[in-house]
Amino acid sequence: MAEQLLDQVGDLFEGQIDFEGQKLVELLVNVALTLVGAIAFFVGYFLQDIKLAVYIGLIGTAAVFVLVVPPWPFYNRHPVKWLPVGGVTPPANLVINDNVLK
Amino acid sequence: MYSSVVRFQNAFSFFTTVAFVVAALIASTDLLTPRTPSVGVLKPTNVQVVRGRPHYYSSKKEEYAIIKFSLDADLSSLFTWNTKQLFVYVTAEWPSAGGSGSGQNASNQAVIWDSIITSPSADHLANLGPIALKKLKRSAQGKSIDPSRGKLSIKNQRPKYQITHPSGKVAEQEDVVLRLHYNVQPWVGFLTWNQDVDFWRWKTLRNNLSKKFTLPSIKKKDETKKAGA
Repeated sequence: MAEQLLDQVGDLFEGQIDFEGQKLVELLVNVALTLVGAIAFFVGYFLQDIKLAVYIGLIGTAAVFVLVVPPWPFYNRHPVKWLPVGGVTPPANLVINDNVLK
Repeated sequence: MYSSVVRFQNAFSFFTTVAFVVAALIASTDLLTPRTPSVGVLKPTNVQVVRGRPHYYSSKKEEYAIIKFSLDADLSSLFTWNTKQLFVYVTAEWPSAGGSGSGQNASNQAVIWDSIITSPSADHLANLGPIALKKLKRSAQGKSIDPSRGKLSIKNQRPKYQITHPSGKVAEQEDVVLRLHYNVQPWVGFLTWNQDVDFWRWKTLRNNLSKKFTLPSIKKKDETKKAGA
């Protein structure tokens, strides 16, 4: 019981996402952080207010972290489909055609 | 990007890159802002030379020049969004007696007065008491830049520092001039001082020298007593 709970907590902390989700996260991080930096700079420059630029930069970055770090459900919409577990061990002389696996 | 920790590390690593690039851009905007500081008046108003000791227990007596001065300057163009504070200082300069090659410095330069002018974005850093700090903050409430901070109009200012020379003698020194300097301290970027040549949109600080004057001879003690009586 306790072990199960520990495993669940561990999974939650590890926050695994699938391959498509990883691709999406990478894109999001690059685009969103660049955007935040650009907005912070231009708003700061045109309003001539450096404190505003710093706050926009920091708050924007924190928002990107919230979007990207936890394993949100939309990062897990393409789970990997594994082949079913075969209960039979194949004979040693069996030759498997690659086309069959595809 | 497989686990939360890896995603955090990746996002943070890219954040540092973005922060650096934004900081570099901010620093480079300084070049776009024209700097046109000007000096109206810089002149000594009252000059005294007295004898004194470098510190309480010293048996050595030195001559100290106390140079009061008036200053009118407009440094408001130095305040941009990236200006944290402006350091303004006045030096007294005079040529060395032997000139260069005499084993002495070719010229002597000593700061007699300085002042830190904070930008409204740096008011919380000003080294002031609580009441003066509140007053300073209120003077620029709602403004991110306050160009009026750069307008200096000082009359008959007492020097902060009494100056002397390694030889201990400054009385009757000829050809002394006062010079105004400034140092812009940005939030990000390089420190810049008043430059000697125009640099694109940054103009030199002209007219920042006073006329040559001569330090008086030492003030006699009995004279001060008479004046006091």
